Amino acid sequence: MQSGFDVIVIGAGHAGVEAAWAAARLGRTVGICTLSDGTVAHMPCNPAVGGTAKGHLVREIDALGGLMAKAIDATGIQFKMLNTSRGPAVWSPRAQADKRGYSAWVKEALEAEPGIHWIFGRAGRILADSSGITGLELEDGQRFRCRALVVTTGTFLNGLIHVGREQRPAGRIGEPPSHDLAESLKAFGFEWGRLKTGTPPRLHRASIDFSAFVPQHGDDPPAPFSFLTDAIDRPQIACHLLHTTERVHDLVRRNIDQSPLFNGQIRGIGPRYCPSLEDKIMRFPHRDRHQIFLEPEGLDVDEVYVNGFSMSLPADVQADLVHALPGLESAEVLRPGYAVEYDFIQPTELRASLETRRVRGLFLAGQINGTSGYEEAAAQGLIAGVNAARFDADVPFVLGRGEAYIGILVDDLTTKGCLEPYRMFTSRAEHRLLLRVDNADLRLTTRARACGLVDDLRWERFARRLDRFQHNCVVVNRSAVTVSGGERIPAARALKHPDVRLEALQASGQLSLVTDSHDALIDIASVETEFKYEGYLKRQTLAVERQRKQETRAIPAGFVFTGIPGLSREMVERLSHIRPATLGHASRIPGVTPAAVALIASCIQHARTSTAV
Amino acid sequence: MFNPDDTIVAIATPAGRGGIGVVRVSGPGALGIAASISGRPAALEPRRATLSRIIANATAFDRAVLTFFPAPHSYTGEDVLEISAHGSPVLLHGIVQASVQAGARLAEPGEFTFRAYLRGRIDLVQAEAVHDLVDAVTPLQARAAFDQLEGTLTARIAAIDTALFEMSARLEASLDFADEGYHFIDPGRAAIEIDEIGRSMDALLAEAARGRLVRDGAQVVILGRPNAGKSSIFNRLAGAGRAIVTDIPGTTRDLLTEVLDLDGIAVTLVDTAGLRAAPVDAVETEGIARAHAARQVADLVIVALDGSRPLSADDEALLSSTTVGRRVVVRNKSDLPAAWDPRALGGPVVSVSAGTGAGFDPLRAAMVMALAGGERLRDIPAITNMRHVELLTRARAALGRASAAAAGGTPEEFVAADVSEARACLEEVTGARTPDDVLHAIFDRFCIGK
Repeated sequence: MQSGFDVIVIGAGHAGVEAAWAAARLGRTVGICTLSDGTVAHMPCNPAVGGTAKGHLVREIDALGGLMAKAIDATGIQFKMLNTSRGPAVWSPRAQADKRGYSAWVKEALEAEPGIHWIFGRAGRILADSSGITGLELEDGQRFRCRALVVTTGTFLNGLIHVGREQRPAGRIGEPPSHDLAESLKAFGFEWGRLKTGTPPRLHRASIDFSAFVPQHGDDPPAPFSFLTDAIDRPQIACHLLHTTERVHDLVRRNIDQSPLFNGQIRGIGPRYCPSLEDKIMRFPHRDRHQIFLEPEGLDVDEVYVNGFSMSLPADVQADLVHALPGLESAEVLRPGYAVEYDFIQPTELRASLETRRVRGLFLAGQINGTSGYEEAAAQGLIAGVNAARFDADVPFVLGRGEAYIGILVDDLTTKGCLEPYRMFTSRAEHRLLLRVDNADLRLTTRARACGLVDDLRWERFARRLDRFQHNCVVVNRSAVTVSGGERIPAARALKHPDVRLEALQASGQLSLVTDSHDALIDIASVETEFKYEGYLKRQTLAVERQRKQETRAIPAGFVFTGIPGLSREMVERLSHIRPATLGHASRIPGVTPAAVALIASCIQHARTSTAV
Repeated sequence: MFNPDDTIVAIATPAGRGGIGVVRVSGPGALGIAASISGRPAALEPRRATLSRIIANATAFDRAVLTFFPAPHSYTGEDVLEISAHGSPVLLHGIVQASVQAGARLAEPGEFTFRAYLRGRIDLVQAEAVHDLVDAVTPLQARAAFDQLEGTLTARIAAIDTALFEMSARLEASLDFADEGYHFIDPGRAAIEIDEIGRSMDALLAEAARGRLVRDGAQVVILGRPNAGKSSIFNRLAGAGRAIVTDIPGTTRDLLTEVLDLDGIAVTLVDTAGLRAAPVDAVETEGIARAHAARQVADLVIVALDGSRPLSADDEALLSSTTVGRRVVVRNKSDLPAAWDPRALGGPVVSVSAGTGAGFDPLRAAMVMALAGGERLRDIPAITNMRHVELLTRARAALGRASAAAAGGTPEEFVAADVSEARACLEEVTGARTPDDVLHAIFDRFCIGK
């Protein structure tokens, strides 16, 4: 057994696998510490990847050379592009996963990478000295040296599962969760918080009467997530839609005192965008029904996920609730839903590289940072993995808010911290129109290549795609087309009209664009958006530039905020805690006024000129 | 908004009229703005007063003395340009606007002092306003602390902001939660609702214009061909024999001004040289040029026509060139036999006789109506802060785009982008609302998520 790695990753969930993969792509030796390889890239909650804004994250992960998009393309069993009635900026792919297939695919991908090795066992103590991380000790006493450590333990830190009044520690079934690791992390003095999330019951497929529901089919043909996938070749399934009934609502109301969410048993804060059934019924009493989707967890598995039915009521009440739904009268509950409370570290403890400010070489990614969702976890894993691999680099790999949703994710976390589990939404983006799924590669692949994340295969494919894009823009710029009424006008001007579509101009032979048969939709969308919404894109690009200027104005690492006349004590405290790296960063900290930022700027300037003399 | 890299501009002398007014520009763009508003590409010599024309929209409209103080030896410690001009608030606003067009932004209250403090030109005790400025979440709050009038305005701007915020929340919800079974906003309704918000902004902006009239007064310029009786009208309105009146066409060569109170509005009345296509000498040519320049900054134009003689080509040219903007058409010499029918002009015409004084009360009423839109001016809590007018105007423009986009079937994310832009403008007045606030609003009102 090797006694050391460049990078060790604790946890093999969605954050862990991307971190390991990214670090290995950068040429580092990586050890992944996990109890077993049976739950790699596991989906403990809904068996799906993507959705609004989350789909954007997955496309960006792919553009950066990550795993998630290729994994879901290989194992997805229903694909849907959401929001296609709107413009390309809010299109978002979503897919149902064959969760076991997904896990197996990722495991295989990691094992095919020579730089990645398994460390099977329970992580115990983080080893560090005054210069930073030195290694990891397992609970059984084995020690591994490393230069950087990425902790991606999800909800396992002091995790507590609630089903009715029953409580049990979260962890692998039958095994206690790691307390040593939690203690070891706490010893560093991080600020902690407690959150809650939940999951619905799983039903046996054979016990469900599907004829009672509205089938929901995916897109045909399904559009892949990855820029490298040509076509989805797996068989596709349908999901089913049903609605809660008055009987269900009544049952919840009658048993509400048995819900840990409502009887004071749970203190952690849950996500409002993913309310439990109890919340839906108690907080929105005027709504007479709520949507429920039945989602198979795989092609040939028995489990069916009851999306929209997450709860923590006692198991017998859950069974009654399931049976109260038409079509599920005799459904067999394989596993009840539950709520889980867990500790997280306030991500304001992190730099934009996702390295902790307290311990050099220690990185955190995923739910431990207060986020929810596989996609958010994977995105952080990738960023943490890259920066862990670049432990000796001067400048961290950081994406801007105007560059990627991943940039927004990391900036929001490290600047504002979390009060509830953080989920990505497109409304978090100031410049949404620039951050589209169609141009994720145009935005990110060049940067990713420069830092070593992108292999030759992807790079060559991207080069061809970029050529097509640039060529097509020239074609549109140089061509005139005939519009309704017979007038001949420049194509660029014609496209500004809402009814003139690039695809139609191409189909009617008025323009001859070069498209790739697999990527035609993306090729067309990227070019059309560029022309059709030129004014909007220009305004947003200008705004990004203004913001970038502020981001280039660094605040020195040891800058002292205390004693700056005019700054309130509250502002000094916040600034000293967050330690913004740039003036732009400082300006986004809640409560810091523009005038305060100007003051800080002048103090930096002043300090610089007085030391120069 | 407090970006210290910006170049800022404001009127430095107290509001109201004085012989001389000073506009101050501070920041890295000061010299460029000097070149742009004076039309002189050569850099100004430091600390030397230079007489120059002031140009806006490619037209010279005043003369002023420009002085450039390079950093760090200036009031703020930055490059500073001081423009000393005639004291008319209208002209000073014109200079400020020309500077804004050339890249400056309007200064926040106290911002020059704040900069002087930032650059170490004054100490904190001198800049006692600075502390409050830093603590205040918005500049408006800073003002509102000592300005009750602005306080009522905050409420009105906040109401508009709230309506925009609601609109934003629903647009964002429909984009982020497309498959929740909710119908957050009907695309057809969106345009209507946006227009409603736009109208309340228009109302506020209209009041802003009236508020400016109360504070700064109005410039009223009398135009007409030679011997139409401009100077007689001027004297009648001014109540004094200021202007020399003769039968000789072209007697008035330069601009004559007189300040009078017109129903509460301080009106600067300007008499001008008669306009004709063929001036007789260089003095008259210059006089006509000045008349045109005065017109550029006029709040109201009085078109003086001679009722006793047929309309000439010069009259027709003047009538057709004043259809844009506010004007009152006057048919003078109503005591003589009429040579033309005022109804032929297709608009309201006030008949007066400068000789007898007949018709001047209706003329004054028409002027007030044209300037103030028929509303009493006293006690209107209008926006008097030009910065807020500018922000509201920008917000209104973005909202106009939102409305056009919504009505034209442009996808919601673009409408949402325009609405956010409008909100961002008001944010400088009402304080920032974050995407988290938008999400809060959505989650509070709608049951979202699975």
